[in-house]
Amino acid sequence: MNSQSLFAYRGTSSTRADVVLGIMSFVAFILLWYAVAFFEVVPQRFLPTPDKVVAALYKMLTEQQFLDDIGISVARVWVAFFMSAVLAIPIGIWMSSYRIVGTLTEPIIDFIRYLPVPALVPLLIIWFGIGESSKIAVLWMGTFFQLVLLIADDAKRVPREFIETGFTLGAKPRQITWDIVFRSMLPKIIDNLRITLGWCWTYIIIAEIVAANAGIGHAIWSARRFVKTPEVMAGILTVGIIGLLTDQAIRLAHRRAFKYL
Amino acid sequence: MAETPKSNFVDLRNISKAFEPHEPNGRPISVIDDVSMQVDEGEFIVYLGPSGCGKTTLMRIVGGLEIASAGEVFLAGERVVGPDRKKGMVFQAYTSFPWLSVFENIRFGTRYRNDVNAAQKKEIAQHYLKLVGLGEFSDYYVNRISGGMRQRVAIARTLAAAPDILLMDEPFGALDAQTREFLQSQLLEINREERKTTIFVTHDVEEAVVLADRIFMFSTRPATVIEEIKVADHLGEARGVEGKTAEAFFHLCNHVRDLMRQEAIRTESLAQQELMKQN
Repeated sequence: MNSQSLFAYRGTSSTRADVVLGIMSFVAFILLWYAVAFFEVVPQRFLPTPDKVVAALYKMLTEQQFLDDIGISVARVWVAFFMSAVLAIPIGIWMSSYRIVGTLTEPIIDFIRYLPVPALVPLLIIWFGIGESSKIAVLWMGTFFQLVLLIADDAKRVPREFIETGFTLGAKPRQITWDIVFRSMLPKIIDNLRITLGWCWTYIIIAEIVAANAGIGHAIWSARRFVKTPEVMAGILTVGIIGLLTDQAIRLAHRRAFKYL
Repeated sequence: MAETPKSNFVDLRNISKAFEPHEPNGRPISVIDDVSMQVDEGEFIVYLGPSGCGKTTLMRIVGGLEIASAGEVFLAGERVVGPDRKKGMVFQAYTSFPWLSVFENIRFGTRYRNDVNAAQKKEIAQHYLKLVGLGEFSDYYVNRISGGMRQRVAIARTLAAAPDILLMDEPFGALDAQTREFLQSQLLEINREERKTTIFVTHDVEEAVVLADRIFMFSTRPATVIEEIKVADHLGEARGVEGKTAEAFFHLCNHVRDLMRQEAIRTESLAQQELMKQN
């Protein structure tokens, strides 16, 4: 059996084949969509053809200041994401470093992280109003508590021998945390940040649909009111494209930065 | 005067260790029972005993990584209270850092030294890089090199920190027989040059006889010293990996193996009696 085969059980393949197949699956998806819409398997009022969605997107970008909406959503996502990350990384590492911190915080964080974020939206609007701070709060609530536990877990997985090596080379706990624990888990941190950033896009749309006068979510929701299905789909598509591009960019940076992996 | 090796450089006084029981009402598990020994500066000591007998725990107590339930350890006249740069440790698991090159790993050993400046640190790292014979692999990431090479990196890094004592916990345990033998001879060479006081833990009889000045044989848990062997008394000058074919080497290995076997039989029958009592 040839293991260098796409069809062998757990077989290997080349990067080139992976890229080609990846593109092919996209093309196949679009063709299928086009066929279903074109032959009106589903009425076009509900499922417009891809070209109509692209045309709607073009119109939104050129005539309806959709670029501003995108900018606003991106800014909200990144601000909240940044606030989550700068708090979650040190706190997560701290939780894994000292038993007292971990034991005190883990149960409560575990509880909060199971609260459904969409249900918190009304509460956060009462607390923070309908301005920017309530959106940031929704995103932050949705990501911080998840991320901090992921970071704490990764920190715990740093081999004990690495830490003991640090001690026997004369490092103090603070030096071990920075020079060994943080550095050792850095690739994992970046991975978790990438995944968390994806969640941010889910929550921002929810937050913007509930209460906002700008942003991609708001644009989608306004289009819905007039049953402008192509525009709704264009909005959704935009989030998908932004997500895909950031994800790939971070993966690329990851590969470049951590050549030893 | 500083050149003469100090006697009683490492001094273990009545060390005992018990771990907390697993069950709430269980008895504490005794792993070391009243062990005392003195080691001279520059001596190569091997702790030999069955797996899980507590020899590693004893070595970790010397290194300050574990706290004795009773007794004290003195290193160069100072009481051991915790881990520091004076007690270097090489583990069985690979501990060279994957994000650093071979050279950077070795230089990491000097990172927390404040008795030398940056230029000297680099020189020290170069010296140990050559000493373990990895000059050609200086820029390689450590997960691109073999397991034996990774352990050489770990040894070089530990020595670069200039410890008073080198503690080695089955460092060649995960390596194949040929690599293991090569590293043993290299370790002997390093030892000839550095004269570093060493405690080396293993359950491999040949390895113990090849490396040691003195072997301490331990019983099964709780560990006590059942025999102390001065290797030079048996082998004379026929030491090291080349001496492995000498008759005296065979005799000593067989003698040690016999002791290990007797110890195994003794514990087995003890365990059987214990079980029969319970039923």
